[in-house]
Amino acid sequence: MENTQDSPNIRRNQVKPVTLRAALTKKVLSIRPLDIVRWIAYFFLVVIFLTPFIWTILASFRQESEILANLFPLSIHTFWPRPDEWTLDHYKTIMSLNEEGARESLRFDRSLLNSFIVSAGVVISSLIFNTLAAFFFSRLPFPRKNVLLIYVIATLFVPVQVTLVPLFIVVRQMGFANTYWAMILPWFASPFVIFALIQFFKEIPYELDEAAIIDGANYVQILRHVIMPLSVPGLITMSLLEFQFIWNLFLWPLIAVSNKNIQVIQVTLALTQTQRTTFWGRRFAGASLASVPVIILFMLLQRYYTEGIAQTGVKG
Amino acid sequence: MQGTAPTETESAFNRFFTWRRRNYIVAFMFILPALINFTLFRYYPIFSAARSSLYNYSLLGGYRGFIGFDHYIRMWGDEAFWNSLRVTLIYVGAKIPIQVILALALALFLSKQSLGSAIVRSAIMAPLVTSIIVVSIIWALMYHSEQGLFQSVLSSVGLPKMRFISHENRALPSLTVMMIWKDVGFSMIILMAGLKGIPQVYYEAAIVDGANSWQRFWNVTLPLLRPVLMFVLVTQVAFSFQMFAPVYQMTKGGPLESTNVIVHYIYQQGFLFQDMGYASALSMVTLVILLIISYGQMRILDTDY
Repeated sequence: MENTQDSPNIRRNQVKPVTLRAALTKKVLSIRPLDIVRWIAYFFLVVIFLTPFIWTILASFRQESEILANLFPLSIHTFWPRPDEWTLDHYKTIMSLNEEGARESLRFDRSLLNSFIVSAGVVISSLIFNTLAAFFFSRLPFPRKNVLLIYVIATLFVPVQVTLVPLFIVVRQMGFANTYWAMILPWFASPFVIFALIQFFKEIPYELDEAAIIDGANYVQILRHVIMPLSVPGLITMSLLEFQFIWNLFLWPLIAVSNKNIQVIQVTLALTQTQRTTFWGRRFAGASLASVPVIILFMLLQRYYTEGIAQTGVKG
Repeated sequence: MQGTAPTETESAFNRFFTWRRRNYIVAFMFILPALINFTLFRYYPIFSAARSSLYNYSLLGGYRGFIGFDHYIRMWGDEAFWNSLRVTLIYVGAKIPIQVILALALALFLSKQSLGSAIVRSAIMAPLVTSIIVVSIIWALMYHSEQGLFQSVLSSVGLPKMRFISHENRALPSLTVMMIWKDVGFSMIILMAGLKGIPQVYYEAAIVDGANSWQRFWNVTLPLLRPVLMFVLVTQVAFSFQMFAPVYQMTKGGPLESTNVIVHYIYQQGFLFQDMGYASALSMVTLVILLIISYGQMRILDTDY
């Protein structure tokens, strides 16, 4: 029925190419010199910020000798491999899928898995415990809650890198050195995430809690059925930031774990680079591999990411 | 809850644990895990460091005798410590102003909603989500003294090859440029959100008053952006002060200690030279310096806000 009504419109649209062309011409003529300057600036910014990545990713797919041979003079082939140059060798090597890698027992696949285990552990546990803490501060009755809040927020001002050495001593005393626990336990609560979640929870009207209380809900049920469903974007944002933080963490796993089998990708990447010879291809492949998960997540959830960072500055 | 009649002890129990108090206990269970975490992993290490800074202490040998403030006295005469402090301050002092000004310029330039600016914004955020180790590895190869990408660019414009991170005077500036490249997006996002928060009516009023775009920026944007700008400054100073990974990965503090920032020096003392006691003392001093800097900045922020 609607189709018949629409058909005159479709016919009218068929006349459009002419007007579209006219519009395009008009648009091109209306470009001001300032716009051209703007576009040139856009182009240079993209070049400055993306060239290192493009170089890295493309070079990881070509032979060592070809990466170096094409550096001088600077040309399109400095970056873009010729059709016969594409290869997966470097990826096979760093994951011990060929002889060369097996000989040096490079296990980037293992480290990637470790990174996923640690990240999943931290993101899930921090999602649980930070939500509980933020719910406590924004909703529950307790005497002198402000003192506790200061106790939590003050840790924001403790520089993490500086206290890592003593933190290592503590974790070692507890017997967690060289375990996954060493990489997960210190991060299951975060002052930053608690603080951000409190802001999210405060925006949820208190009347909803009261309605739930009248219906006989306890604290856990209020949190589960009222607060959490209404703060999904906030929880996603915080999980994303937490994932990125823990995936990219370097100094702590370097200190806390010396067992190669449970080491995370960032440290494995850094440690295999300290050998004498420079293996360009392997470095590029390793760097690409270590970045893929965060970049995919970032591309899918960029909006949450931007909002998360923006919120730290404007609301905090 | 239980059908039985309350005995003497049970009623005493009930008198103490009133409904309200029971409620408090339940509520406390929500915050307990976080409190345990902060106490064990954030506060206790500080006191533990304070203690081990007064001992001869190493990871292998454990505590070997109380030495009082000897570590701190040694620090006073430790040329390498003063050097690391100087390097860190130069790094922070050079990086922060450039980064914040660039971030502000980018935020103003890219605040217009268009496809072009959205693409550029995503591009600027790419280094931000990438790990510092990956960035260090890529840039180490770009800065490579023989076959780096920068050598390629230099030769294409007819300049001779040039050493970057292996040159005593250029290593720190090279790292600074790299870190600005990595961190500028973070400041930019926050400043953009700050810009969005400025009500449009102020600009309209300024236009009515005949203000040109420079006057609008100077008299409307900047004063209203001040709290956000200060926040960016405070956090970036604290972050940058703790720079470690690029130095570890690219220069190991060299050449000639020219990039040995304080956290890297602490790492060297504690883990390479096995002197945890001295490393702890260094950590304590750095902690105090950072707290003083943060406090000072917060005071400025507070009075002007």
